[in-house]
Amino acid sequence: MHRRPRILVPLALAGVLLTATACGESGSSGTGGGSGGGGSASGEACVPVAGDQLVVLEDDQQLQNADNIVPAVNAATAQASPALLPALDAVSAALTTEDLIELNAAVDVDRQSAEEVATAWVEESGVTDGLEQGSGAIAVGGANFTESTVLANIYANVLTAAGFDASVREVGNRELYLPALISGSEIQVFPEYLSTATEFLNRQVNGADAEPVASGDAQATATALQPLAEQNGLLFGEPSEAADQNAFAVTQEFADGLGVSTLSELADACGDGSLVLGGPAECPDRPFCQPGLEDTYGLTFGEFRELDAGGPLTKAALQQGEISIGLVFSSDGALAQG
Amino acid sequence: MASLGARPVLGAASDGAPVLAADEAPNPWFDPSYVTDNWDTIVGYLGQHVRLTVGAVLLGALIALPLALLARRTRVLSGPVLGLSSVVYTIPSLAMFSFLAPFTGPLSATTVLIGLTLYTLVILVRNFLAGFQAVPADVREAARGMGYGPGRLFLQVDLPLALPAVMAGLRIATVSTVALVTVGVITGNGGLGQLIVGGFNANFYRAEIVTGALGCVLLALVADVLLAGVERLLTPWTRAALA
Repeated sequence: MHRRPRILVPLALAGVLLTATACGESGSSGTGGGSGGGGSASGEACVPVAGDQLVVLEDDQQLQNADNIVPAVNAATAQASPALLPALDAVSAALTTEDLIELNAAVDVDRQSAEEVATAWVEESGVTDGLEQGSGAIAVGGANFTESTVLANIYANVLTAAGFDASVREVGNRELYLPALISGSEIQVFPEYLSTATEFLNRQVNGADAEPVASGDAQATATALQPLAEQNGLLFGEPSEAADQNAFAVTQEFADGLGVSTLSELADACGDGSLVLGGPAECPDRPFCQPGLEDTYGLTFGEFRELDAGGPLTKAALQQGEISIGLVFSSDGALAQG
Repeated sequence: MASLGARPVLGAASDGAPVLAADEAPNPWFDPSYVTDNWDTIVGYLGQHVRLTVGAVLLGALIALPLALLARRTRVLSGPVLGLSSVVYTIPSLAMFSFLAPFTGPLSATTVLIGLTLYTLVILVRNFLAGFQAVPADVREAARGMGYGPGRLFLQVDLPLALPAVMAGLRIATVSTVALVTVGVITGNGGLGQLIVGGFNANFYRAEIVTGALGCVLLALVADVLLAGVERLLTPWTRAALA
C-alpha cells in the first residue's frame, strides 16, 4: 500500500504532471456553481467549490482498511525487556490523527526537522511520565518519509526516557526492513501501519493469494494480526487512534455548503450525478476507491479526473475547485486546520 | 489494503502548473540554511557515499584485473568474460539489491557494495582488456628476449603501457558509481540519495533534493579530477613526449 519505496515516484510524477496540467487547463469549467442549495437534486448541487481548507469526510461505513499506527517489536527483544512495549503503547495511547497531521505539517510545510518535531511532541504530550524503566541498546527503524521518520524519533525519544539506549536507523522498503525486524539484529522496533503490516504478514504466511484479514475495524484487524505476528517472531503493541489511511477530502466551503461531514451524508446530498471525483489512475478499478464509494455508499459521480494518489495534484485540484472530492491520506499535513 | 502502490508525496511545479501544496510555504531550490542546519546529516551521507564508491571501484578493479588478464591470455574466454560482465550490468539495480538482500542482511551496506561492484565490472573489464591488448606484441617479445619473467613483464611493460586505458576505465567507473549509489535508498544505504528521496517524500523539499543532487554532481567531478591527477602523476612520459 502506500508505504513502499518511493524511488520511482519522481519519474512517474513527471508524466502525471504533464497529463494533469493539460487536464486542468482544458476541463476547469466546473467552478461557476457556487455552493449548492442544501441537497436539492438540481443537477448542480455537488459541483466543486474552491477553498483553501481541506476536510476529510468520515468513512462511516468503514470502506477503508484501518491503518492505525502500531508499534512492531522483535518478539525476543520484547521478552528480554519487559519495559519496551509499555513505553511504546504509551505513545499509541497519546497519539491522535490530528497530532499526526500537525507533525507532518510541521515538517512538510514549516520545514522543521523531524527530530525537533518529535522531541517537541514527546515533551508536550507527557507520555514519558512514570514509564517503567528498562536498559540496553534499541534501534528503531524509520522509513525514508516524513511520518515514519517523525514516529521513529518519537519512539526513540520515549525509549530513551524509559532508560533504553535508543537510536534511529534509516531503512528502505518493507520487503527489506520487515525481515530485519524479524531477525532483530539490525533493528528491533518499527512504527508500523496496522492493516498494511497485517496483510503483508498474511501474504507471507498464507501465500500471495491469501484471503485478506485486515478490515476497517482496527480492533478486529489487531486481533487477526496477533497470530500472524507470533508465527513471524514479532510482537505488536496497542494500535493508536492515529491513522494514516486512504480518505476522501472536500473543501471546507463545499462541506459547509451542503452541511455534510460523512460520506453517507454526502451520498444523500449528492444523488444528482454532479460530483467530480479526483484520484489516482487506478481509482476507477479499485474497491477502496470509486467502485467502493459507489457500492458501499451509493455515491454517483458525474466525472472522474485522473490525478495522483493523495499527492499535490489532488490537493491543488480540490482547492481550485476542479474536483468535488478527492482521495488523500488521512494524516496529510495539508489537512492541518488554519 | 487498498493498495495504491507507492505513495507519492511530491509535486513538481512547472511553468503554468496550478499552485501546488508544496508551494504554499516558501520552498526555494537553494537554501544555505538547510545546509548549515543539517550539516552533520549531510556529511554523514556524503561519507557513506564516498565509502561505497571507493569500495566498489577498488573491489571492482581487483576483480576486473585478473579477469582482463585471463581474457587476454585465453581468447576463448574473452567472449564469455565480457558477455557475463555486460549481462550483470543489465540487471536492474532495484532487482539486484532485492536479490542480494537475503544473503547480505536486509539493511546492510554490503548489499549495495556488492551490487555496485558488479556494475563496475562491465566498464573495468572492457577498459582493462582494451589496454592490455593494445600493448604491442613486439614490445612484449623484446622484453621476454631481455629475460623479463611474467611478473616483471606485467609490472614494467604491460601495466605502464596499458595505464591510460586502465585509468580511463577507473574514471568512468567512479563517476557512474557515484550516480548509482543513490539507488541504494531502497535498503536505506543510499548516501546522498537519501536526501534526494527524503526531499521528495517530505512534500517536495527542494533545498534537500538539490543538496543531494548537487552533492552527487560535485562528488563525481572531484573524483574525476583527482583520478585525472593520479593518471598524470603515474604517466610522466606522456607529458615528456609532448614537451
